[in-house]
Amino acid sequence: MRKLLSLLLVLALAFSVIACAAPAPAATEATEAPAAEATEAPAAEEAAAPAGDGITLGVISPNTGALAVYGAAVTTAVDLAVSEINAAGGILGQQVSVINTDDQFDPAETLNAFNSLVSQGVGLILGSVTSGCTSAITGAANEEGVVLLTPSATADSITTEDDYVFRACYADGFQGAIAAYYAKSAGYTDVGVVYCAADTYSKGLYDSFAAAAATYGLNIKAVESTASLDVQDYTNQFASMVSSGVQFVYAPYYYDVIGPYIVTQARAAGYTGIIMGADGYDGTPDYVVEGADLTAFNNVYWTNHYDPSDTDPAVQKFVAAYKAMFNSTPNAISALAYDAVYMYKAAIEKAGSADPAAVRDALADTSAVYSGVTGTFSLDATGTPTKGAAILSFASDGTTVTTKLVDVIKELK
Amino acid sequence: MSTFLQTLFVGLRLGSIYALVALGYTMVYGIIRLINFAHGDFIMVGGYTMIFTIPVMVSLGLPVWVSVFLAILVCALVGMSTELIAYRPVRKKGTSMTALITAIAVSLLLENLAQAIPQIGPNPKVASQIFTAGGIRIADVTLDWTTMLTIFISIVVMVALYQFTQKTKIGRAMRCVSEDKPASILMGINVNRTIVTTFAIGSGLAAIAALMYIAQYPKVYTTMGSMLGLKAFVSAVLGGIGIIPGAMLGGFVIGLVESFTTSYVSSSMADAFVFLILIVVLIIKPAGILGKNMGEKV
Repeated sequence: MRKLLSLLLVLALAFSVIACAAPAPAATEATEAPAAEATEAPAAEEAAAPAGDGITLGVISPNTGALAVYGAAVTTAVDLAVSEINAAGGILGQQVSVINTDDQFDPAETLNAFNSLVSQGVGLILGSVTSGCTSAITGAANEEGVVLLTPSATADSITTEDDYVFRACYADGFQGAIAAYYAKSAGYTDVGVVYCAADTYSKGLYDSFAAAAATYGLNIKAVESTASLDVQDYTNQFASMVSSGVQFVYAPYYYDVIGPYIVTQARAAGYTGIIMGADGYDGTPDYVVEGADLTAFNNVYWTNHYDPSDTDPAVQKFVAAYKAMFNSTPNAISALAYDAVYMYKAAIEKAGSADPAAVRDALADTSAVYSGVTGTFSLDATGTPTKGAAILSFASDGTTVTTKLVDVIKELK
Repeated sequence: MSTFLQTLFVGLRLGSIYALVALGYTMVYGIIRLINFAHGDFIMVGGYTMIFTIPVMVSLGLPVWVSVFLAILVCALVGMSTELIAYRPVRKKGTSMTALITAIAVSLLLENLAQAIPQIGPNPKVASQIFTAGGIRIADVTLDWTTMLTIFISIVVMVALYQFTQKTKIGRAMRCVSEDKPASILMGINVNRTIVTTFAIGSGLAAIAALMYIAQYPKVYTTMGSMLGLKAFVSAVLGGIGIIPGAMLGGFVIGLVESFTTSYVSSSMADAFVFLILIVVLIIKPAGILGKNMGEKV
């Protein structure tokens, strides 16, 4: 009996060690869905298809973990884009297949996911979602000669170091500047900042906001920070904003902090002005406290890559197709991931092959123009698009929180 | 003045939570001299139990906080099974160090096990509003009802625990086991049953702490217990581990230090200061603020 118990215990220990150390391979799953479409491809295309075994696209996203909403947004949008491409005959006549991996919003896991894709011979990777995770693999992508196209990692440093790294979104340098531009155009001169000093994304946005604030003549009167994203009380930070008298606070955090903690605590601390954030606010309405007074969420603004209510035909076509397939409205991360797949398609067609080095050269061409859901854009010399942003706000009647489009800024003046 | 009050209230809010969690640590340590590192994760178990039972309570027309009773039950069961499956066999074979390592293993096991359950998964969940918002306003600063309730509950729990260990038969048995295990066997005390009871009570306390925690900080996630548990453990050690009033004192000290550091020193240095205080106190008074030095190894 005693032996049995200790055996059980050893097993339990071993299980927890395995669960801690190596979830990446377990989480890796190949999506073979496109195979079904392969048989439906027109016969003419099949005849013209070169004798390749298809193009494999690796996807790294936080499918589990604190930001799993983003992971689902990426995998669904990639699924949609790839099935559209395959139904239309694939890229260069070859069918596209996808291998999804999970980074769990953990830089170490991101590297595991990356290595697992590389060991499977994948040369084109889409990912990861967050700046923190993506920055863990940019160097490795360069070393391995693997193209890395991130849909949504906005930190400035992501694309500047390495030749093989590109992105489908604008950089924080631009995103922070939009917030500063908005503050100025809305008539605020004194502003405050609350940010997380330990997070690449939050810190990067603060830096770019501060730089742009200087350009636009904004006076940053108060700056407060938090030591980690696990902090649960922000009352003191916002009390300091109240005592400095600012009516505009830039708070670049993610939705899982904004929804349950920051907004309600800021209002309880007596702060009534604008709270402005960035694309990390996407998803907040699903993370608010049911039964609390949600009018706190009025006067919260954020910048995003696109808005589903935009009347642009490309946006509406994408939204309709996504709704038909997944029965929900795509968020900005989905739109970016969708655009990223089509950027790969354009680059592979331009290169004439799916060879990573050739695709890299095609993406590095700054004259190529990509037309997608998140705008028509080309990449600059570092591999970052130059494009516009949507300004959104939350609106609440007290029981639910909805998002509405405030403005679309095409370029900064 | 209002900044000071605000900082004080935030400190009390954090401190009341730490105090309540620290009571669980200190209770188990006081009885069986084991630092139950899984205690923080029992809070996570309690949190998820409430997340799942709150809709049931609402549909039955009961107040939301009633689900804490189910959480106490679930936590007590998890606590007792932890003792039966993990700690007891290890205690029989190994030393107190083996038991300590096992406690860390149980903590990791619970976190990963919770993540593996599909209904829980790794995504954070947000609880509904539990108590009415608002509170007393002093000089334009609000002291939440929830904070006051947490402090009140902590005091009640503290007094009840103390009385329980002093006056009841089981409580006396617990103190006997803590003092001299072989002798208490000779006195006819069922040691194993006493320890299981200790775990049931300690884990039940975790459920109450979970209620008060999610009433103030409504995000529930699988690793929520790790930092919270660590700070509560620090509180218990600071106050003098094994001493019931010490846990409360330590909790409030840690909460206030954290809050005042955020307001007056640097907002990103709060955690650094908390652990710095711990080191300083342990150097000056190794047994904790209320502890008597008995030359015992933790």
